[in-house]
Amino acid sequence: MIEVKNLTKEYGSLKAIDNVSFSIKKGEVVGFLGPNGAGKSTTMKIITGFMAPSDGSASVAGFDVFENPIEVKKRIGYLPETPPVYADQYVSEYLRYVAQLKKVPKDKLNTYVERAIEKTNLGSVKNRLIHHLSKGFKQRVGIAQAIVSDPEVLILDEPTVGLDPKQVAEIRDLISELKGHHTIILSTHILPEVQATCEKVVIISKGKIVAQDTIDNLSKLEKGQGRIFVRLRKEVSDLRTVISGIDEVLSVDVGTTKKEWRIDYKGDDETIDKVSSRIVSNGLGLIELTPSRVDLEDVFLKLTYGMEKGG
Amino acid sequence: MSGIMTIAWKEFKGFAKSPTFYIMLAMLTLILSLLFTIQLQKFFQAGSMAMMQPGMGAQLNIHYTVFLNHLQILNLLLIFIVPAITMRLFAEEKKLRTFDLLLTSPLKSYEIVLGKYLGALMALFVVFAIAFAYPLGTALFADFSWAPLIIAFFGIYLIAAIYAAMNLFCSSLSESILISYVMAALLNIAVWFVSQGVEFADSQWARNILEHISLSFHISGLIEGTIRTNSLIYFFSGIGLFLFLNERVVESHRWR
Repeated sequence: MIEVKNLTKEYGSLKAIDNVSFSIKKGEVVGFLGPNGAGKSTTMKIITGFMAPSDGSASVAGFDVFENPIEVKKRIGYLPETPPVYADQYVSEYLRYVAQLKKVPKDKLNTYVERAIEKTNLGSVKNRLIHHLSKGFKQRVGIAQAIVSDPEVLILDEPTVGLDPKQVAEIRDLISELKGHHTIILSTHILPEVQATCEKVVIISKGKIVAQDTIDNLSKLEKGQGRIFVRLRKEVSDLRTVISGIDEVLSVDVGTTKKEWRIDYKGDDETIDKVSSRIVSNGLGLIELTPSRVDLEDVFLKLTYGMEKGG
Repeated sequence: MSGIMTIAWKEFKGFAKSPTFYIMLAMLTLILSLLFTIQLQKFFQAGSMAMMQPGMGAQLNIHYTVFLNHLQILNLLLIFIVPAITMRLFAEEKKLRTFDLLLTSPLKSYEIVLGKYLGALMALFVVFAIAFAYPLGTALFADFSWAPLIIAFFGIYLIAAIYAAMNLFCSSLSESILISYVMAALLNIAVWFVSQGVEFADSQWARNILEHISLSFHISGLIEGTIRTNSLIYFFSGIGLFLFLNERVVESHRWR
């Protein structure tokens, strides 16, 4: 559905994105992750045909973004960082205007506008001036604007910024609802959001893609590596001495108290067996043992911040 | 085409809702009312004098003494009115980042420009409707020929249209409404000065050139009620030139 090849964008001497390539299949929900200024927005702007790249190509639904921008734009709903709303228009009037701009056929205008209002829960404010709306509502009008033409591809640049937790949850539900019907790219630097809504993640840092995979695969980034949490009845000054000699154990870290420990290992489930039997035979009182995956935050920090630190 | 009309209509509705537009119209009405009544009064005084002195009445013509003065005032006011109408059309969109919406809509750059331009022309039509109300009111108690009057109004409307094209271009250059207004007003004044320059140029050669690029030379025919093709070509190519430049500016946003 979306094909991006060797995309590069330079602002003067500054490279905003550098040789970025990825592809997204129809119906996928993809999260664009990265620290501020990593090039998320730039990439999105290029896909929407808002901006031209310095090098490389992008295509949406088989249409090249630069050869055939009109066809591409017909198929895309885009929410920029700042919702592009006009303060002097009423919500429904504004959505009607956007639908007209997006070439929605005349006889379907009303149904499309009503549907967008309903999906984003804007019914209570549809006859109010956008000027008088709160930030959260404006953001929702922005999302309504993106979906009003029922586009095949939705590109949402930080859709939940400025919303309260309830609204964030609503937007997540909305995105899950739109799944399958639309191909969605959303950018964010809020990790739980990606975990809650996306199937696939593209992590971008300093203009380069550092990882792209499904969330499941990313979570166990290094093959065969795992992590377990153990909670003990007795305090141990150092768990390392207790389980020393097991080769598969990579590191042991203390948790909030000396009763809680985090153990990273490389190996299969037998390692967990060895660790637990060692703890039990030492009479430490094993209360809880939870195998856990490395979470997205760790991966993210490792790939972005870690690289910076390591040089 | 539908894209152009969508934008034009949206902009026109924007004017209809904007307090600034009404304040501007109110000021315009105030100035025109004061000056028009003075002109009219002078004309009637001269008329009653002429009745006592036979032969004087031949020089009196309401078209020249009242309506043309009225239009000259309007012409002068347009230098400041048109920038006020066009200033926000692009500058504000860029500042509030709503321009993103237009640039990511399935529209060609020229559709955006023409839409905005038509919106400005519609707003100017309201200005002209107000100005036209004065001769219309005069018709209640005076008899005059309509055709030259309408052609003269059409001529001044063409001037407004050429200002609008220039000033819309100014608006597309800046993100600040104020800068866009000042730039546009200065450009209008500069163009207006070209017309004045005709009288001060020494060489015949320079005078000929200035004459052909000055608005007032081309408008003088229309204002007297005659339509000349070279003037029409002059106006439409001027409008075309600035709309083209404007389209280039909008298009360049996609490449920067």
